[in-house]
Amino acid sequence: MDFSEAAERISRKFSQKGTEVDPKKIEGKLRRLVTEFGVQPSEAERSVTNELAKEFNLPAMGSGGSGKSSGAADLKKIAEIAPGDWVTIEGKIVALSAPASASISQSGIIADESGGIRFVVWAKSNAPAMAVGSWYRIESAVAEEYKGVVNLKIHSGTTIKGIEEDLALMPTTMPINELHPGIGGVRAKVVQEWDSSHERMLQSGLLGDETGTIKFVIWKEPGKTQLEPGQIYNIFYAMVDEYNGKLSLSLNTAMIMQEEGDIAVSGGSVSVRGAIVHIAPGSGIIKRCPVEGCNRALSRQNYCPVHEIQPKFIYDLRIKGWLDDGEKTHNILLQRDVVESLTGITLDAAKEIAENNPLGMDEVFLRMRDAVLGRYITCSGREIDNRLLANSCERISYDSGEHTALLNRAGGAL
Amino acid sequence: MSANPRDIGRKEGAFEREPARRVFASEFRECRYQFKEGEDEKSPSFVLLPTGERCNRIFLVGTLTEKLRQGDQNIFYRGRVVDPTGTFFIMAGSYQPEAMQQLAKTETPAFVAVVGKPNLYQTPDGAFLVSVRVESITVVDKETRDQWILDTAARTLDRIDAMATGTSPDIAKAKEHYPAIDVAVFRKMAYDALAQVKI
Repeated sequence: MDFSEAAERISRKFSQKGTEVDPKKIEGKLRRLVTEFGVQPSEAERSVTNELAKEFNLPAMGSGGSGKSSGAADLKKIAEIAPGDWVTIEGKIVALSAPASASISQSGIIADESGGIRFVVWAKSNAPAMAVGSWYRIESAVAEEYKGVVNLKIHSGTTIKGIEEDLALMPTTMPINELHPGIGGVRAKVVQEWDSSHERMLQSGLLGDETGTIKFVIWKEPGKTQLEPGQIYNIFYAMVDEYNGKLSLSLNTAMIMQEEGDIAVSGGSVSVRGAIVHIAPGSGIIKRCPVEGCNRALSRQNYCPVHEIQPKFIYDLRIKGWLDDGEKTHNILLQRDVVESLTGITLDAAKEIAENNPLGMDEVFLRMRDAVLGRYITCSGREIDNRLLANSCERISYDSGEHTALLNRAGGAL
Repeated sequence: MSANPRDIGRKEGAFEREPARRVFASEFRECRYQFKEGEDEKSPSFVLLPTGERCNRIFLVGTLTEKLRQGDQNIFYRGRVVDPTGTFFIMAGSYQPEAMQQLAKTETPAFVAVVGKPNLYQTPDGAFLVSVRVESITVVDKETRDQWILDTAARTLDRIDAMATGTSPDIAKAKEHYPAIDVAVFRKMAYDALAQVKI
């Protein structure tokens, strides 16, 4: 009996996936099964194929002749992909991102109507380049978990076929408190914009909806624009990452559309009563980098960690400190308007002191410290990562009703 | 989700500042037990209040009645801060230059708000001395002092109530280390302190 034809067939199948198997070796295996073990030739071909597939870590190719190998796998919904799955999906490339390493030829997000998933195409796979906005059928890709996020890996055993027709794809959003690492969309309001902490960062801040808030970041890339604070956006296919147990949204891959209306942002809003027990260095009048989008605090020598010496700095006021209620200490950050109303020192007055007093900016720090340290205040704002960003701060005035109530409480049991 | 041990370490190591406890002078001077949490040299040290709470930091507002400069090479300042129930002994040395300068320039008498670390010493003849190492001291007004009395009375009453029903380790420790103290005296103390505030 001649096994060379079947061996050739199997060998071709593997070379299509980028793996070379010696037909002589395949032939040997087939012969052994058929002549020694009395296995049917078609069954032998199937089992040798599967055995080799396992050996080379490729998805099972099933039986039969060339061309039929792929049809077996069931189409999977992207949202249902779990780590370790070998899957076949049909989806639209909604974003491509710069590959993180030379061994990756393409990375991005592919989505179907159930959701999106990050994918990585290994350079070794020799897969055809996929284009944003096009639909593809991807057979035998493998899902893996990396840093808590499920990724689809496209390797040499994966087949990619373009789908001609442009199917409709309606992206969806979900409540912020239901986001999980991977890909997500939200309809949210930009509730805060933070000082950029990295030179590659275009913008970072906080997005909020009715269910909660989440940090967002946009990295500098051609064509990327900043979000406008206070605006509502529909954001689709953002990357949801988890770090130190906290989620954040990276918007570089996302489709962002400005929306009308308003959202009553909930969550994170707190009000704390207590005494100010510490005013940290860096409070008072500070200088900020004037470079657009930077706004970092400068050193005394007007040095910005990114933009170096900036003689045309912008003055600002802030107080960093600790507000303590006797049970817990809250890190508080007060911005200019709150500082002005709490200390009674306006930015103009502070500038005047900083420029004319022999102690300069230190004098502003000392005056503000003397005005607020040890005082009882109520601070309202948003608490993120144990830091309270205050929208308003008010001195608490003495309450004689509280005095009476306490006298009754203390005296009641005497 | 991430099993990266570095992340876990960071989470556990997240810095949490010790709150500043509110305590009247006559309860504070009864402290006799100081302990460390953990073996590390930098582990925080706590003084146990008789009302069953540890403190690594306290916040007090009272009248600075006296201050005294001491030492030649190692200059430090001592001071007395009086509340309606007794006296706190405060000190600031060259390790707390800001606090020392603040104390140095404060004229007595004055209402002051003090944040500091409690310290327990035993003199060679066996007497206990409880003092506060100042982190910051600021001159405040009488209204702030009165607010502090209300605040401290409320916190003290909270602790006394917790002693009756609570089961925290600190409450158990307090009962063990201060067997002779009846916390009811601190209820009376709080009442007397409140009564000194003019209605």
